[in-house]
Amino acid sequence: MQSQTNQQIMLNVMVMSGVDDGTLLACHSDRDGSQTVDKWTITIGRRDENDICLRNDTYVSRQHAKIHYKNASWWLEDCESTNGTFIENVEDFFDDLPVKGIIQIEEAQLFRVGRTWLRIQPAE
Amino acid sequence: MSRIALKDILIGARQEAYRMRHFYLGAEHLFIALLEMQGSIASNMIKEYGLTPEYVINAIRRKTGKGSKHRLWAGVPNTPRMEVILDIAGDLALDHHREEIDERDLLMAIFMEADSVPVRVLCALGLDNIEHLTQLAAEYTIADDSHRPYVDVIFGPDFDPAAVLSVEQMLVLRRMFYGYQQIRVERRLIGGYSDALLLIVTPLHADGREDAAVVAKINHVDATLDEARRYEVRVRNSLPPLTARLEEKPVTQEGTNLAGLKYTLVTSGNNRQPMDLRAILHDWGPARLGIWLKSELYPTFGQLWWQQSRPYRFQAWREYDWLLPPILTLELAKEKQLPPQGFTVRMPLKRSRLRQLEYGDLVAVENFIVQKIYPERKAIQLAAGHGTESAHAYKIEIRGIDLEANTYYRGEIIEHIIGSVWKTRNEQLMHAVRSLEPDFDPTGERIPGIDDRDDRLPNPIVAFDGLLDSYVDGTLSTIHGDLHLGNIMLGPNNSSFLIDFAHTRDGHTLFDWAVLEINLLCDVVMPAAGSTWDDARAVAQQLMALNGGLPPHDPDSPITQALAAIANIREIVQERLAVENKWSEYYIAVAFCALRAMMWDTLPHSSRRLMLLVAALSINELRTRFRPGSDSNPHSPEVTDINMSFWSGELGG
Repeated sequence: MQSQTNQQIMLNVMVMSGVDDGTLLACHSDRDGSQTVDKWTITIGRRDENDICLRNDTYVSRQHAKIHYKNASWWLEDCESTNGTFIENVEDFFDDLPVKGIIQIEEAQLFRVGRTWLRIQPAE
Repeated sequence: MSRIALKDILIGARQEAYRMRHFYLGAEHLFIALLEMQGSIASNMIKEYGLTPEYVINAIRRKTGKGSKHRLWAGVPNTPRMEVILDIAGDLALDHHREEIDERDLLMAIFMEADSVPVRVLCALGLDNIEHLTQLAAEYTIADDSHRPYVDVIFGPDFDPAAVLSVEQMLVLRRMFYGYQQIRVERRLIGGYSDALLLIVTPLHADGREDAAVVAKINHVDATLDEARRYEVRVRNSLPPLTARLEEKPVTQEGTNLAGLKYTLVTSGNNRQPMDLRAILHDWGPARLGIWLKSELYPTFGQLWWQQSRPYRFQAWREYDWLLPPILTLELAKEKQLPPQGFTVRMPLKRSRLRQLEYGDLVAVENFIVQKIYPERKAIQLAAGHGTESAHAYKIEIRGIDLEANTYYRGEIIEHIIGSVWKTRNEQLMHAVRSLEPDFDPTGERIPGIDDRDDRLPNPIVAFDGLLDSYVDGTLSTIHGDLHLGNIMLGPNNSSFLIDFAHTRDGHTLFDWAVLEINLLCDVVMPAAGSTWDDARAVAQQLMALNGGLPPHDPDSPITQALAAIANIREIVQERLAVENKWSEYYIAVAFCALRAMMWDTLPHSSRRLMLLVAALSINELRTRFRPGSDSNPHSPEVTDINMSFWSGELGG
């Protein structure tokens, strides 16, 4: 993403379950997250200082997960959260797969932070 | 036309939100409320897809999980998605010049919104054409079953008149064959040891034409729908071309907790009525049966199942603990906190601590999964591990649960629950052995030997526990999961068919063969021997010779002849051993399968006595011949090159 440090990037995350189901959370590289030379990082957690704040889910840790934008792709990282970050399991819908380390995540793919399902909305 | 008022639906949705401690109103609560209403469009539509409202509700609850006990906001707000759904439903009502939103508007709105939890769950359950669902909801009229023509049920000459079907079973059976004038129930298949009813049924048209016979299976609704799902996901694509298939959706019947599945036998023409092996055994005898298992069944299914095995090193408890009685049976306790000396059951489990527990001790259980709910017994069964498959280790039963005041769903993670010890696993095993009236002390470390009473064998109900931790070098493949004579069918030209895929999964490859060996020992070998402990010892003595590759003591004895089929199974096993000639992985499987069968009170005492001895013998083989879990060299003395030809029917037997 060398050329993207000056490029504005948008991240729209849709809440897919829980009390905030259907809420669209918008992040913008101008004002949210942190940027280095080659990536933009957005934090997710229960505390207000996170870029994406899930204050209504007690299963979400204070600082729970991160979304990175690097090499024109989205990456999901679990920050050693208590209750884990998960993606859907294509083999068994009811047995979600824990995220270990950093994994690539596609737009429109669902992932779960604590009990809350989220989805990166595809760019219009 | 639906007349269920919006107000009533929202009350139902709110109740669901409270039951799940969600304290908000979302699409999932709304959809569950629609499913729960008797005779609603949603519940009827779901049934047409071969599911039940309860099954779908359980799946939605499992996906959302229960909320925290702490409330973080006041009131019960609607989620933003719920607001969108209500807006869509409002527009639909307006389009039809109605002032109030009705049930159909809400259902269509949920489908049209298309992104909510219930819609995602429906997709996962196979109802993934949302456009079609929306269209169906728009046009749906509830069918009146009273206009359905009555299906006449008659019984063929081979049907045992003593095996009366219950009213509920008859209701489901008739519903499974709607569209036919008459069905003829040919025979009841003696199934495994579950409550499932298996029948061979010939459907007849009004003009007297007969369709090919099918196997109708009627069982508890959850187990049936799980079996149908498992078939779709795991089995359908791994079957040989000509075999038994589930071609139709399961059939459920309101007012019963039963459902039916129809196994259609796909054959190459000659539609001879299928027979299960138990029925054929009388004509064939064990020797011919054994040869058929090895030369027909094994290659036909083996190609996609057992022969597709890959290395698998596991601790025995992972594959075999579930065969044993629950590690604990607890009575729900009123205490919210565990006393300081109390024991907490959590993974990884310290089984040594469990052994010290006594009646009345308080125990907390943490992060176990609800596997089964028994409303009639007011009990739930928990187990370690994910999902609701039966093969999960460390079952714990909790009694005295008020299922009306508390909602539990299968697959739910119970974070913390406290109970007092009602029964331990050891007590259950000991009780089972005592009921067999042993002629020895069943509490000691050892029991009398077989050849020579002074040559003691390990007592399996004491020795099994240490075995659970041993490492097994085995292989993993698709396995049937319940391979017994009643589930193996003989089709045209003596081809092999399997039915009943309720337990099909990826597991220890040799499990299927251990189950079949145990089944043959109980149903074929022991009846040829007698019923006393000494008769059981006589069988065990012959089995010991077979284990060691020695010739039979008396080749003409009925026991030796009955053991011929076992020898063929051993030949199949020999081919599938992970390490050439290293039989320890098989003896571990046999030991646990035998202990399970020893617990079955539907088996005669004689067979259960033999099972205790078979478990003892298998553990003895492991101790004397192998060291379980050791990375042995296949050429070391731990391995045995066993010659089965003395025993199998192939050597002039």
